[in-house]
Amino acid sequence: MPLCLMENIRKTYRMGDLEIEVLRRVNLSIEKGEFAAIMGTSGSGKTTLMNIIGCLDVPTSGRYMLAGREVSNLTDDELSEIRNEHIGFVFQNFYLLPYATVLENVLLPTLYFKGRRDSTERLVTDLLGLVGLEERAKFRPNQLSGGEQQRVAIARALINEPELLLADEPTGQLDSKTAKEIMGIISKMNEQGKTVILITHDSAIAAYAKRLIQIKDGIISE
Amino acid sequence: MYARLLKIISQSFKAVRSFKLRTFFCLISVTLGISSISVIVAATEGAYKKAFEIVARFGPDSLLVIGGSEQARATGERQKTITLDDVKAVKQAFDNAYLVVPMTSMREVTVSYKEEKNQTLIVGSTSDYSRVWTWPVIEGSDFTEDDVKGLRNVGLIGQYLAKELFGNENPVGKYVLVKGLPVQIVGVLSERGTSPSGDLLDNRIVIPITTLMRKLQNETKYVSALRIRFIDQENLYSHLEELKFFFRKRHGIPEGEPDDFTIISPKEIIKFLVALTGSLVVFLGITGVISLIVAGFVLANLFLLSVKERTKEIGIRRATGAKKNDILLQFLFESVVITTIGGILGFILALLSSKLLMLIAEFPIYFSWKAFVVGLLLSWVVGIGFGLQPAKRAADLNPIEAIRG
Repeated sequence: MPLCLMENIRKTYRMGDLEIEVLRRVNLSIEKGEFAAIMGTSGSGKTTLMNIIGCLDVPTSGRYMLAGREVSNLTDDELSEIRNEHIGFVFQNFYLLPYATVLENVLLPTLYFKGRRDSTERLVTDLLGLVGLEERAKFRPNQLSGGEQQRVAIARALINEPELLLADEPTGQLDSKTAKEIMGIISKMNEQGKTVILITHDSAIAAYAKRLIQIKDGIISE
Repeated sequence: MYARLLKIISQSFKAVRSFKLRTFFCLISVTLGISSISVIVAATEGAYKKAFEIVARFGPDSLLVIGGSEQARATGERQKTITLDDVKAVKQAFDNAYLVVPMTSMREVTVSYKEEKNQTLIVGSTSDYSRVWTWPVIEGSDFTEDDVKGLRNVGLIGQYLAKELFGNENPVGKYVLVKGLPVQIVGVLSERGTSPSGDLLDNRIVIPITTLMRKLQNETKYVSALRIRFIDQENLYSHLEELKFFFRKRHGIPEGEPDDFTIISPKEIIKFLVALTGSLVVFLGITGVISLIVAGFVLANLFLLSVKERTKEIGIRRATGAKKNDILLQFLFESVVITTIGGILGFILALLSSKLLMLIAEFPIYFSWKAFVVGLLLSWVVGIGFGLQPAKRAADLNPIEAIRG
């Protein structure tokens, strides 16, 4: 059973009388432990695809199974739970809470975690160590460099131990040296068994992935 | 569920601390609104308390008949229309009256003891004076019926006057000069404070009514007032009507003519007090409600602005698993936390400002848990009422659009 299984996924938007088809019959299967890059130009539909994979949006039609569960017709609350438990997001603009410390930012997803977990403390120490920010736990985002902020975001994405790490242009705001470091961390995560889906328009970044999926005009190809 | 709520509230507290400018402006407006409401509640309570005190002191079973029509009293004219014979007749006619005490008085009379002088009210009454006013003699003793019959020069002195004339000396047994007439002080009245109209009640000397009339006023017939206490307090207002009828008949007042006397009852006193404080309470009430509504709008607008500013925060919270309700509750708690603090600060401000108000005007203000609870509840009403819309807007943001900002 693949981690992500999409069958005939369509997504259309209405603009007045006009119906725009952003995704046309996407069929996609991603196995556990894969490192895939979805590449496309702006307007290709890659953002919409990412939103659906990340359960931020639902398809107009088609079936999407995530971790063995049909998620294409879940309620808003149920989707929130799926995101919380199964998906870690890393965004281009980091999106850290400016008024919270590094530690508090990393712990953000645990606020909304349904169950109880005793290992959180150990996990957060491990994650901060992994991204090299143990010393900065009490810092605020504005005291950190862009690369460091993205490391915090990666730690945050992993704190609830999701199966899937979804990175949307994770290096878009970073210089090439820092981008390399960040991609290094993401690759390491994949080596440790995380499934990673990378969304990018940059082929140099996409080259880190082991599988390349192209999207153009709402149709994917490999 | 409970743990999740606590975590969300902790986020609210963090935001309240972090967005200092928003917190500051919301606090100012809520504090002002709640403090004026608290003052009103306290003032209303104070007025009631004062009214009850005054009625209790006046005597809930008592009526006071004063010579002269209400109109004449209003213009400050004091007519004497009540006679000693009237007093006797009332005593005979009203079986339920256990005390019928005539009184007559002279204002601004110079009283002296050694070198000390003072302008004082001289009251003439019977030996029942302190009983009929429930105004105990705390040192020495009352004058007696014999003193009244014998036109003796004895008197009771009020606390204020005693201090002015005697300082720390004990006045009992000493002589004061009242308009040249030596009067021996036999007792000291307890402290009474001020009347509802602000007169100092403790500046007086009470002497036998006979002494006052004959020796100081050269009067044989008229007294200024008559105080009556009834056994059956529950029938006080029917007694009032009877008394009115009785006096009109005795004084031969034809139908349609106004009374030549005024009867004051506990109700009358409450009316007077309400007139005195009512307008101020209404004014403060309107001001308070307006300022609270203004506070609500300030809060709502600042929160709407805040939601706009924090769109990305909302987006990332939603992406990491926050449900709509989590966001709603977070923002609602932020608003309620601020208004609660505002409510508490408002109560403190009300305490301080009412001290000032009591200094400026003799205005009865009484703070109890009621003012505090009303303020706190209203602060929650404002917090929830005006915080709900912005919180809803935050919760309803589409996560995709929120995160794209």
